[in-house]
Amino acid sequence: MAAIGISTATMNGGQKLAMKYFTVAIALFGAQVLFGLLAGLQYLYPDFLYGILDFSINRMLHINAMVVWLLFGFIGSVYWMLEEEAGVPVVGIGLANLIFWIFTLAVVVVVLVFLLVQVGPGEQKSIWLITEGREYIEAPRWADIGIVVCVLAFFYNVSATFAKGKFTNIGGVLVMDLVALAGIYLAGMYYTPNISMDQHWWWWVIHLWVEATWEVLVGCLMAYGLIKTMGVRRKIVETWLYIEVALMFGSGILGLGHHYFWIGTPEYWFTIGGFFSALEPIPLVAMVVHAVFDAGHHKLKSTNNPALAWIIAQAFGNFFGAGVWGFMHTLPQINLYTHGTQWTASHGHLAFFGAYATMVIAFLYIALQKWRGDVYMSSNLVGAWKWKWAIFLLHAGMITMVMALLISGYEQSQIERAIEGSTWMGYFTAQEHRWFMQGMFWRQIGGWIFAAGFVLLAWDLLTIGKRETRPALQVQAE
Amino acid sequence: MLEPVKLANFFIVFFSAASVILFGASYALLFAWSRVKSRPRLMMLAYAAYAGLFISVITLAFAANLFHNGFWTFIVSLMLIGYLAAPHAIWHLCVGTHADEHGDAQLKAPI
Amino acid sequence: MSQTQALWWASESFWRKTAIWVTAGSFVVLIFLTFDTVKQITAGSKRVPAYANALNHRIDYVFDAKRNFQVPVIGPEEPLFGKMLTETEAEALVSHGKLTTQAKNCMDCHTLLGNGAYFAPDLTKSWLDPAWGSKETREQTMVEFLMNPTDKLHNASGRRMPNLKITEAEARATVAFLKWMSSIDTNGFPSNFKPIDQADAAPAPVAEPAAPAAAPAADAAPAQQ
Repeated sequence: MAAIGISTATMNGGQKLAMKYFTVAIALFGAQVLFGLLAGLQYLYPDFLYGILDFSINRMLHINAMVVWLLFGFIGSVYWMLEEEAGVPVVGIGLANLIFWIFTLAVVVVVLVFLLVQVGPGEQKSIWLITEGREYIEAPRWADIGIVVCVLAFFYNVSATFAKGKFTNIGGVLVMDLVALAGIYLAGMYYTPNISMDQHWWWWVIHLWVEATWEVLVGCLMAYGLIKTMGVRRKIVETWLYIEVALMFGSGILGLGHHYFWIGTPEYWFTIGGFFSALEPIPLVAMVVHAVFDAGHHKLKSTNNPALAWIIAQAFGNFFGAGVWGFMHTLPQINLYTHGTQWTASHGHLAFFGAYATMVIAFLYIALQKWRGDVYMSSNLVGAWKWKWAIFLLHAGMITMVMALLISGYEQSQIERAIEGSTWMGYFTAQEHRWFMQGMFWRQIGGWIFAAGFVLLAWDLLTIGKRETRPALQVQAE
Repeated sequence: MLEPVKLANFFIVFFSAASVILFGASYALLFAWSRVKSRPRLMMLAYAAYAGLFISVITLAFAANLFHNGFWTFIVSLMLIGYLAAPHAIWHLCVGTHADEHGDAQLKAPI
Repeated sequence: MSQTQALWWASESFWRKTAIWVTAGSFVVLIFLTFDTVKQITAGSKRVPAYANALNHRIDYVFDAKRNFQVPVIGPEEPLFGKMLTETEAEALVSHGKLTTQAKNCMDCHTLLGNGAYFAPDLTKSWLDPAWGSKETREQTMVEFLMNPTDKLHNASGRRMPNLKITEAEARATVAFLKWMSSIDTNGFPSNFKPIDQADAAPAPVAEPAAPAAAPAADAAPAQQ
């Protein structure tokens, strides 16, 4: 049945659209790496691109490229599974395609304005047209509205498709999650002179997106992936999806408290933040026990080795990035000294990569297998060295960066925060310290390794399975 | 209410907090593995990992001055009891949710 | 071990309901807390002072033994740029400053209330920073620095703030925003901050901190050569 060679013929409409989203996602991943390298270099050579492409611009592009490429990856992944899950073609595929082009064009315009205009006068029109200047959601207001419109259109496509076909449990969770995804973003779209109020709502977007709705979205994708690639029974997977939603929303929604220690919000958030920080490891324990339980009862026969490798990487990345790195500095007694230092950068790098980038990459491999015409991707795959080296280099680079940032952050929390008390002088005393500078140096080395891994990953994504003639192994549920 | 960590205790806090999670995961892993493979010996190791977790939580509690306050003492006891019970609870849930499958497996493979 | 009948607590429908109730319950609790928090952080409250109150008075940051951390204290009359402002004027000025910090993207180098990027110092208490020299010259020094930072002395690392084409009006508004921000009760963040001398007597010369602080606690040193 499997025709070998690129075959969009076997792909459904949603999957063809998904490939477009994936293409843009990978391009933006490349942009994230590029601007990260430039920003990192500016720690080592402060005059590098000074006054041309300042740190603030590189850093803004670095983090925004990340948010958008992950979002594109998620949207693509949802379109990929949508028709198979609902059992009918995507409703309103024409609109979905149009929205893709509008969304992509808007991203290009925003990036060009960030690069070429950079800053504006201190007026409302700057916020509407140039940048909102709030970390992670710097996109100007017109683009915010555009994002909400795109997400709502996406919501329409997804919910209408499920409504027309069959509303599976995965579909139900997904649709509810998309409502939350669009709704919460609105909290970030208002201006106030009050910085405490600003940060209070800002965390609604950042925390509730990243630590609640994104987690559940990934849970849905993972559930589909398990049924699809490993033939796990739907009933079990869906029950566990609900268990995960209960654990994640149960610990995640009020987990917002651990961001409300130092921004002017009342002291009772110490109590709430502390309590939910202590709950944080429970979902991780659940995953560990369940993974072992499953492994003990199923013979793992993977139809797609690179995807499986990235899913395993996701489990570890989530555990270390969110779990270990998060818990190390989440209690307010220590967070007082680590808040706003390279500690946060260390945690952020590992957690975003570990929990989300890995998942999107796994989905890319699942998609590419079909795109190549259900090609063989199990052991002894032709050219397997590329994906193996890519996964190794990306992880080696990430771990180097994270450890280097950790050492810099550790020094900063002691010298800048505890001893010097965060004055200008204290800040630079810590920045000029040997430990800090060596951390920045090794972070850059890690960045170069990561960049090499990215190049290899991109090459592999373009070529994997090209010279493979065997059809994919078959694994089917029940 | 809060008693911030002393400078000399920073490293202890980071290290013990990381250990809490690592021991917690090891405990869960060994616990589940022991049950899956029916190897009671591994269960000893699992509880050794929990002992490690226990020591880490207590170390963290002292280093982060958690015993200075009733609420934070409660959090410490919650962690000790909760992390002990969690793998048991999750295991039961695994067995329960996979109940049908077990039935099938036993039917299909009588010998 | 022969569980043929699905257990109610392991069934899909039980967990679907649980997921819905847990999510809804957490959200309802969050909404209630949000109402209270928003009330407590509205400008003019105890934690977040009214704009004019902050701009027209001296702000200090002193240790409160009862709460066990430093808290901002609003002191005697000390109007910003020597001009008393009404609440409306003060809010307009702070708002202009806040807009400037957003339009110039300050947060992608600096941190505000500890959030942002880590390429430049935290601005939460920058109004009180001893680096501005004396209390008398602080306002003017800050305005000049913001307008043309490139040739000013920053530090030994060579890192400098770029020229962001900040006008004088924007710079003054930004200083107002920073002064007001320093009056927010942040539960003791940043800790151990050493504010600029604001006493009325002749200001003592600001002592230059000595060489970088001694190596961190010996027992705490990870292997890093």
